[in-house]
Amino acid sequence: MAALHELTIAEAGRQFRAGTLSPVDLTEACLARIDALDGALNSFITVTPERARAEAKEAETLFAQGVDKGPMQGIPYGLKDIYDTAGLLTTAHSKLLEHHIPAEDCTVQAKLWAGGGVLLGKQATWEFAMGGPSFDLPWPPARNPWDLGRSPMGSSSGAGASIAAGLCPAATGSDTGGSIRMPAAVCGIAGLKPSYGLVSRHGVQPNSYSFDHCGPMAWTVEDCALMLGVMAGHDPRDPASIDYPAQDYASGLLSPVAGLRIGVVRHWYEDELEAAPAVIAAMDASIATFRSLGCIVTEVRLPTLRTFTDSKMPLTAGEIFTLHEKDLRARPQDFGRSMRYRILPGALLRAEDYVQAMRARAELTATVFAVMKDVDVLLTASSAQPAPLLLPDEPPTFFGAAAPSLTAQFNLTGQPALSLCNGFDAAGLPLGMQLAGRPGEDALVLRLGAAFERETDFRSRRPSLEQPVEAMAAQ
Amino acid sequence: MTSTVPPRPATREEIAVLARNAGLDLPPEIFEELVQAYGNIEPMLMRLRRSRDRADEPAHVFDPRKFMPETA
Repeated sequence: MAALHELTIAEAGRQFRAGTLSPVDLTEACLARIDALDGALNSFITVTPERARAEAKEAETLFAQGVDKGPMQGIPYGLKDIYDTAGLLTTAHSKLLEHHIPAEDCTVQAKLWAGGGVLLGKQATWEFAMGGPSFDLPWPPARNPWDLGRSPMGSSSGAGASIAAGLCPAATGSDTGGSIRMPAAVCGIAGLKPSYGLVSRHGVQPNSYSFDHCGPMAWTVEDCALMLGVMAGHDPRDPASIDYPAQDYASGLLSPVAGLRIGVVRHWYEDELEAAPAVIAAMDASIATFRSLGCIVTEVRLPTLRTFTDSKMPLTAGEIFTLHEKDLRARPQDFGRSMRYRILPGALLRAEDYVQAMRARAELTATVFAVMKDVDVLLTASSAQPAPLLLPDEPPTFFGAAAPSLTAQFNLTGQPALSLCNGFDAAGLPLGMQLAGRPGEDALVLRLGAAFERETDFRSRRPSLEQPVEAMAAQ
Repeated sequence: MTSTVPPRPATREEIAVLARNAGLDLPPEIFEELVQAYGNIEPMLMRLRRSRDRADEPAHVFDPRKFMPETA
């Protein structure tokens, strides 16, 4: 029987509804785990124990009264600290917002609260979901629970670390170039960048308007589907919101996947990025698993990762500079070095660069969707390497300069992309793969991911934390 | 008659002018960061600046309906 801190959203929900578990007990288990481990993990910026206890008690009362608000009722969760919360510190992990207390909840928090969720606190990110990992900010960067000397990547770093460590079963992330999928991959959890426009960004600190997505992160794909059902929905206050038909993303997860056509984009991770041998081996084993499930797997060729990055980075640089130009002029030293390094070049772009990048975006998106006439889902690695070392003196880097990203192309196309664990390397570090569908076909991507998780045993392996945490504390 | 200037990396002096035009008056150490960081994006911009068909519109459509006030 799983320990309380290892319960998934689905399993906890079953126990709540069977009357064998109280949201209060689950919440206390999460708070105790945060208290014991987060001094080493740094995954939370603000913990809200009193609020969590009150919301858990409310959920317990509702269950006792037979009131059921849905799958998040009684489920403890963390919010990335770029999600506005009324009356509660929302810092974006930046000195610039060190004392920022919003007046209103963002749309996603309002939905999770209305769905009976239990907010545990606000979680570490990279500065404004862009610059990091950084040691020159008011809060330290989160650490990877599989190896505390390594990064959980980002920018949804607190979400990835806390779920893998069993501090909470659910968290929200945001993804502008891979910020849900990269932490999901290197922390060994599941994370969905939904279709662009499916989940409202209203009240969430922007990174780059054209590419920002909010989405769920959890231990399993099933849990991501349950969260998405609560988070998704048209919101007129988000100009990019698209009125997709409402769906129950979890109801089809058990449907067969035989006959689904999967296009493997091997050249991205094997030729262009020279992925680690363990990553290639995990991808080959995953392909074999999908074939054993009856999927039709072929290889497809798409434009190079470099062409996607060339289009995306000028757009991101221009948009994020525009967001921060006033502070960059007035107080550039208050940004972390990594953040500043990534936003400064946007000052030098020409208007023509932005328009050309948008034209390239249109070409690339049309090319990808033309290939997807013949396949239902694209499959590729989430990261070419396992989690990198977390070093305080690393010089800042510019995204896509040394090597193009394996995730940003799906921000450019706006299609749903799920990262899930597909193995471990020899050192025990988790690896991840991406499944990307057509816009609006989030349910299909989740269905395929859930089938993979049922067919493999990667969900039975958790990081062992107790001894490493003691070692960290002794340092 | 016009001629095409072959692309080349911007000099420090040119970057200083561009930064000034953008309203940035940076301390020397942060100006160094800008020079270094711009060197990362400049090759991307050079690859992006190519001739396209006049009909190739950007991936940007303005939908005025998005800006109508909410109705109760």
